[in-house]
Amino acid sequence: MKKTFYSAITTALACLLFVTSCDKSISVTEQLTPLKPASVDEDAGNWTMVHMTSNTQVAVPAPAEVTSDAYKAELASLKDIQSKLNANQKKSIEYWAGGGVLRWNQIFRELVARYNLPPAPTAEGTYPAPDAENPFNDPQFPFSNPPYAARSYAYVSTAVYDALKAAWYYKYLYKRPAPYVTDPGVTALVPQSDLPSYPSEDAVMSGAAAEMLKVLFPAALEEITLKAGEQRNAALWSGKATSSDIAAGLALGKSVADLFKARAANDGMRNAIGNKQLWEDLKKNATSRGDVAWASLETPPRPPMLPFFYKVTPFKMTYDDIVAMRPGPPPLTGSGEMNDEVKEVKWYVDNLTRERLAIVHKWADGVGTYTPPGHWNDIAAEHIRDANFSEVRAARAFALLNMGQHNAALACWDTKYFYFNPRPTQLDAAIKTGTGVPNFPSYVSGHSTFSAAAASVLSYLFPEHATEFEADASEAAMSRLYAGIHYRKDCDDGLVLGESVGTFLVNGFAKNDGADD
Amino acid sequence: MKKIFTILLLSCLGCFHLQAQTINDGLMMSKQTLCTGLLYTQDQWKNYWEGTLKRDNLNIGKVTTQSLAWMATYGISNKLNAIAMLPYVKTKASMGTLHSMEGVQDLTLALKYNFFTNKTEKTTLRFFAVGAFSTPLTDYTPDFLPLSIGLHSTTLQGRFTTYFAMSSGLFVTGSAGYTYRGNVKLDRPSYYTDGQINNTDEVWMPNVFDFFVAAGYRKHGLQAELNYAQQNTLSGSDIRRQDMPFVSNRMNYGKAGALVMYYLPQPRGLAVRGAVTYTVSGRNVGQSTTLMGGLLYTFIFSKTDVDNAAQ
Repeated sequence: MKKTFYSAITTALACLLFVTSCDKSISVTEQLTPLKPASVDEDAGNWTMVHMTSNTQVAVPAPAEVTSDAYKAELASLKDIQSKLNANQKKSIEYWAGGGVLRWNQIFRELVARYNLPPAPTAEGTYPAPDAENPFNDPQFPFSNPPYAARSYAYVSTAVYDALKAAWYYKYLYKRPAPYVTDPGVTALVPQSDLPSYPSEDAVMSGAAAEMLKVLFPAALEEITLKAGEQRNAALWSGKATSSDIAAGLALGKSVADLFKARAANDGMRNAIGNKQLWEDLKKNATSRGDVAWASLETPPRPPMLPFFYKVTPFKMTYDDIVAMRPGPPPLTGSGEMNDEVKEVKWYVDNLTRERLAIVHKWADGVGTYTPPGHWNDIAAEHIRDANFSEVRAARAFALLNMGQHNAALACWDTKYFYFNPRPTQLDAAIKTGTGVPNFPSYVSGHSTFSAAAASVLSYLFPEHATEFEADASEAAMSRLYAGIHYRKDCDDGLVLGESVGTFLVNGFAKNDGADD
Repeated sequence: MKKIFTILLLSCLGCFHLQAQTINDGLMMSKQTLCTGLLYTQDQWKNYWEGTLKRDNLNIGKVTTQSLAWMATYGISNKLNAIAMLPYVKTKASMGTLHSMEGVQDLTLALKYNFFTNKTEKTTLRFFAVGAFSTPLTDYTPDFLPLSIGLHSTTLQGRFTTYFAMSSGLFVTGSAGYTYRGNVKLDRPSYYTDGQINNTDEVWMPNVFDFFVAAGYRKHGLQAELNYAQQNTLSGSDIRRQDMPFVSNRMNYGKAGALVMYYLPQPRGLAVRGAVTYTVSGRNVGQSTTLMGGLLYTFIFSKTDVDNAAQ
């Protein structure tokens, strides 16, 4: 009896030990260490602009001489601040030392995931549209679905990229050294570089990224503003920039954002939802081709996702270029070819193995996530970090990736709404899916198009990893067939379309922008 | 082997008062007795709490979870019982397109120790300490809620139970437990929960507190009780508006129920068990009604204590 008692006590103690010793903290894969660029990319001021007309479109006045009293006062104030840094301030320095471009990309992905929620139906069975003027409402604004996200990633990335190129131009025009170079009393709390400090690249980013994000995610204004302020403070506290470096950078970043905001306001996005009459016309297009028109599989039926998004202005290509790439048509409902496609999808859902379900969920990137374009930013971020790019080159990588994905979204949406054909479950209700069925037509697969476009841009940037990117893209594409939400042809043709869009950007813009010289 | 069988047969003839018991009740199996059987459970809900907002969802309709669980309790001694449980679970949504899921879920192993008993002519008072361990036996996904068959977390539970009975057969019992839940892995490299994105496939799982109270009658092979169970997940996020549920959500509920268990006169040792519970309050869970039915059989491996097998 006594023995039993002791063994029970021992067991209880062992359990307790296990519980208390077990560290549940999770390790995040995207750790950033202080950025130490392989090259400062001195000539980046002359790389081709995305939207700005020239690197001097926004004027930046010459800074005060480093020998001036005004500048000396800035240094004195900086040294005073550095002597009183507290733990939180040091934490901010460390956080932003990982790279401003990478940090904003992380922040951005979080915002997309936060706002990627479709409106809930009302009691009357309708879906209220998110309202930019009332972003805190239910439904919140925006619904950052894949097209919205693709466009947002593109606008923020390109605004930051153009702003940084302009900053680089002025940095090497004025050549004001960093405060830790000018004054040995200033401590460099981040790795030192030869990059001139006027205007501050951190402040440029904070202005450009925050101003764009505030328009795209207005309900997150407070958080975005705090992050931007923290980035500028970290630049100052770290000994990288003085207050005049930062003021000039912020002004430049904000002015460049204004140029991009003006583009965004007139790029066609406001008409992307359409109206009931236009949705009826889409159905008629499909039935006049002899196909069954797409219908929402949701209850109550939800209007199609952004059907006129394809009319939004592309980056570095035209709508005619997109139309020229449009694949199809998909096989007609009822045709032998389509019946075989449906049968294949049915086979996959009836044989949804654990391995295939894992692939489905790895790439699902549905509601409440950073979307497929965000997933490719996630993939790119680790390569950009490992490549030790300068801030401007990192910005270029994200800008190219996201221009490619924005264009891919347009091309995919163009094809989807041109044909307006049904999803597998619409043709066979017994097809039960391994992830949610997206609320838009089937041909071609968005995941496939995004992924192939992203893979072709990333393969250009990181050719040694091209095989991985291509394997990832085809896995992402096939995941949609395994899930039962796409026919094989949607995936195959989506991959081809995405590759064409990505290659168009690489050959037509990336290879000639001066960054490879 | 033959001898054991004979002993079983003989023993069972005399075991009228046996009771199968579970982790949170106030009952024990005697030394060298084994109660084992199968429990079938059907859980259904149409409304659920999206955070604290109660709603339905026509793209899910009614979610039905069926499970068939094997369970066993063995008396290591009169004061120490070992309990094991393993369910096979199947889920299905009546509307929408989502695929149903099924498979072997988590194995639970527990030790229940009756560390204090005060028995008088009219009353019995017992205290128990329980340690339980559970772990998933298959690699089912926890990332397909509400149709995942479980949360795929390895857990450790400690609980304290008190049981008070009168000679008339009336009893009350109360039990409270704390469950440590290990982190879980998803199939994806990133997820958003609790206001932030996490660039990892690992999900931090909040721990759980629960309590259970029951009152009823237990005598002559019959047990009938009314009970109430409350589970509180100690942190975790709410399901956001129109979002999918997530494995580490703050899943809370209060469930009221009734349970009847009856030992059949023949064959001796065979008990039938039926229970119903209804979710009266909740957060990030379905408002489910659960029906349960089971058959349990008691084997006695020792000739001693036959009349006292159920304590």
